[in-house]
Amino acid sequence: MAEEFNTESMLDMFLYESGQLLEKLEGIILEKQDADCFDDADINEIFRVMHTIKGSSGVLMYDNITKVTHKLEDVFYYLRESHPDDVPHMELVEHVLAVSDFVTGELDKLKNGEQPDGDEKQLVEDLDEFLGRLKGEITKQGIQMPQANKHVEPTQFYITPVAGDDSHFYRISIHYRSDTQMSNLRAYSATYALKEVAEDLLYTPDDILSNEASADVIVAEGFHMLLQTKSSKEEVIALIDSSEAEEINFDELTKEEYGNALGEFGREQVILEPAPAEKAKADAKPEKKEAPKPGDYVVKTKEAGKGKTLAKNQPKQQSIISVNVEKMDALMDLIGELVIAEAVVLQNPDLKVPGLELSNFQKASGQLSKITTELQEVIMSMRMMPLTNVFQKMRRIVFDVSRKLGKDIELEVVGENTEVDKNIIEHITDPLMHLVRNSVDHGIEENSEDRTSIGKPAKGKITLEAKNEGGKVYISVKDDGKGLNKEKLYQKALEKGVIENKPMSEFTDKEIFRFITLPGFSTKEEVTEYSGRGVGMDVVVKNIQSISGRLDINSVEFEGSEMTLVIPLTLAIINGIVVQVGNSPFVIETASIKEFVRVGEDSLIHEPSGEEYIVLRGECYPFIRLNEKYDLPDSVHKIEEGIVVVLEHEGSQVCVLIDKLLQEQEIVVKPIPPYVKKVKGLSGCTQLGDGSIALILDIAGLLMHDGERR
Amino acid sequence: MKILLAEDDFASRKFMDKQLSRYGECDVMVDGEEAVDAFMMALEDGEPYDLACLDVMMPVMDGYQVLKAIRDIEAQKGIPKSKRVKVIMTTALNDERNVKMAFELGCEAYAGKPIDVEKFEKVLNKLGLI
Repeated sequence: MAEEFNTESMLDMFLYESGQLLEKLEGIILEKQDADCFDDADINEIFRVMHTIKGSSGVLMYDNITKVTHKLEDVFYYLRESHPDDVPHMELVEHVLAVSDFVTGELDKLKNGEQPDGDEKQLVEDLDEFLGRLKGEITKQGIQMPQANKHVEPTQFYITPVAGDDSHFYRISIHYRSDTQMSNLRAYSATYALKEVAEDLLYTPDDILSNEASADVIVAEGFHMLLQTKSSKEEVIALIDSSEAEEINFDELTKEEYGNALGEFGREQVILEPAPAEKAKADAKPEKKEAPKPGDYVVKTKEAGKGKTLAKNQPKQQSIISVNVEKMDALMDLIGELVIAEAVVLQNPDLKVPGLELSNFQKASGQLSKITTELQEVIMSMRMMPLTNVFQKMRRIVFDVSRKLGKDIELEVVGENTEVDKNIIEHITDPLMHLVRNSVDHGIEENSEDRTSIGKPAKGKITLEAKNEGGKVYISVKDDGKGLNKEKLYQKALEKGVIENKPMSEFTDKEIFRFITLPGFSTKEEVTEYSGRGVGMDVVVKNIQSISGRLDINSVEFEGSEMTLVIPLTLAIINGIVVQVGNSPFVIETASIKEFVRVGEDSLIHEPSGEEYIVLRGECYPFIRLNEKYDLPDSVHKIEEGIVVVLEHEGSQVCVLIDKLLQEQEIVVKPIPPYVKKVKGLSGCTQLGDGSIALILDIAGLLMHDGERR
Repeated sequence: MKILLAEDDFASRKFMDKQLSRYGECDVMVDGEEAVDAFMMALEDGEPYDLACLDVMMPVMDGYQVLKAIRDIEAQKGIPKSKRVKVIMTTALNDERNVKMAFELGCEAYAGKPIDVEKFEKVLNKLGLI
């Protein structure tokens, strides 16, 4: 047992240890779920895990946990001793997971201060039945039945104290009037009254009865108490005699603060005074140096009314601290502001006076830029978390769903150590879960014959892959199942009326695949427990778009499908190019720019409806004049004088006309303030180096708007 | 049954006395030394205690010392394990090291304060005392 944990209470220890063991157990199970059987090492390990949890839950008298783990331990005992063949592996795995879930549930109850009252009967019956069959199998295979697994009932018990979690912690200071007589006795009567309700009470000065001089100290410095009680503030106040008191300060503390405050009251020195060496001779057993010994707790100095018990919350030293996410967000915001402020200083218009000697300034500013960039990187890395946990959940889902549906599926995980921003992890877990379920349910064929008949291995395969490329995270769910049938999708879309009556050839493959993300669209005739209701894919897309990501769908019929989530690594700072239209600066995200071109009037196509298109190398793109769209005066009107920017978003392109390019820089994205009416085609704003505000173009919004116009 | 209760804190003593008196005759001691004396006396009179509830933090001898003394005396007198007095430690020292040590010293149960009366009774049941 790790040394640093043994100051924890017995119950915390049990929860921690069991939690760890269960985690390990689940790891083993999921790793071996596809194997034919567990190997000896696994069986031993599972047996040991069950045995340990059974033992410690027995000591703590959580009977339902004990019974369940006891049964499973039995099962593994027979497996370990007899090595029977033909153990129904899948069934066994399910039993282990059921037990693991049950115990986890009970542990959660304990953590919340509830009693573990889950009903174990059904689980025990199932295990009994399984064990019965297992024993029958052992006999049938002519293996000698091992002696029954001897269970040693625990002979020692730990009675957990009544949950103290609903206790309140107070710091009470009483200041008596300076002419108060015998303030020490008043203080004593206060402590006496509080003892009725106190679970723990400490006060200073602590020699109020035996030392008359303490009266002066109390008058001068006040009388301070630390109280742990279940009573409310009002009840406690009612108990304290407030006559003669000039002022009573009453602070409610958190458990942690209380623990720290205990130190101030010198608790350890007074109560836990270690026994002198000769006292310890009674202790014959050699023990660890840190361990308490008999005699350690002899109460040496003990006045009437002295509160007792031990400080439970001594602060521990740790190399990891947990930080409130809000603080991290605040720091992130501040660094964003710093980046802007830096740009304001370094690109200040005052520096543009001709003939200014700036070489020292340039040196200093180079250093400053370097540090702010590093600062940004550090805060980003602090918010990064690996996808390991998310992927672990997916393993479980593939396992559960494939078992329920009776499909044989293997899950391959690639790149689970890829790190992404914590915010993003929260947003992708649900969508990813949905995609994985879809792949298991719809992707992989119903019967393995359907697979083998076209030359695929009988076992389905789903690949979960994450990678980090060019400031974006790609998370893909790939299956080798039946793939998407374009014809079917097209027909369905027509039926549902989600598309206009256009021939199929007018749609690209990607557009057809994207039908499945439309609300209410499901080609599966039957709705299953897991998917097929046609709600979901649209929600997935919405969730992903809310973090400026997108969903790419690729599929080859009979070979499989691949759904890829493309998500920006971070949301707060982007790389952008600042351009100018009229007098207004705009920012375009660098990643969405395909090219800058200068074109002549002859490349323009004017439609009678007023729409314009540009033909570039034989391709035709919709064309938007930003100056007209946003009513910007004094801007370039002739296309030859401006620059055309080709933008791309999710495979669709659009061209916009700008006056000139200003610079490339890191942009801290700020939302457009709510008092500005929602403008289509803009996703946010930012402050530039010269202090002016630039609007950030939202390519998806531009495309959508363009589509509606047509 | 005969019960030995060692507890120096008045409020706890009163509470435990009331609880334990339901099960049998309860002798109440206020420090560790007295508890060992009482245990010896009862043993010599041929009317040993069935149950001892020991507080840990007490004057003169703490609960662990009392527990150790009791077990040593029993070993010396050759009392078989099954006939030993059942010991329940009653204390607010709930950290794992203390609990483990008490178990090593040979107590039957360790009750954290505030005491869960229901579970306490369950343990008495399991120990075959009631």
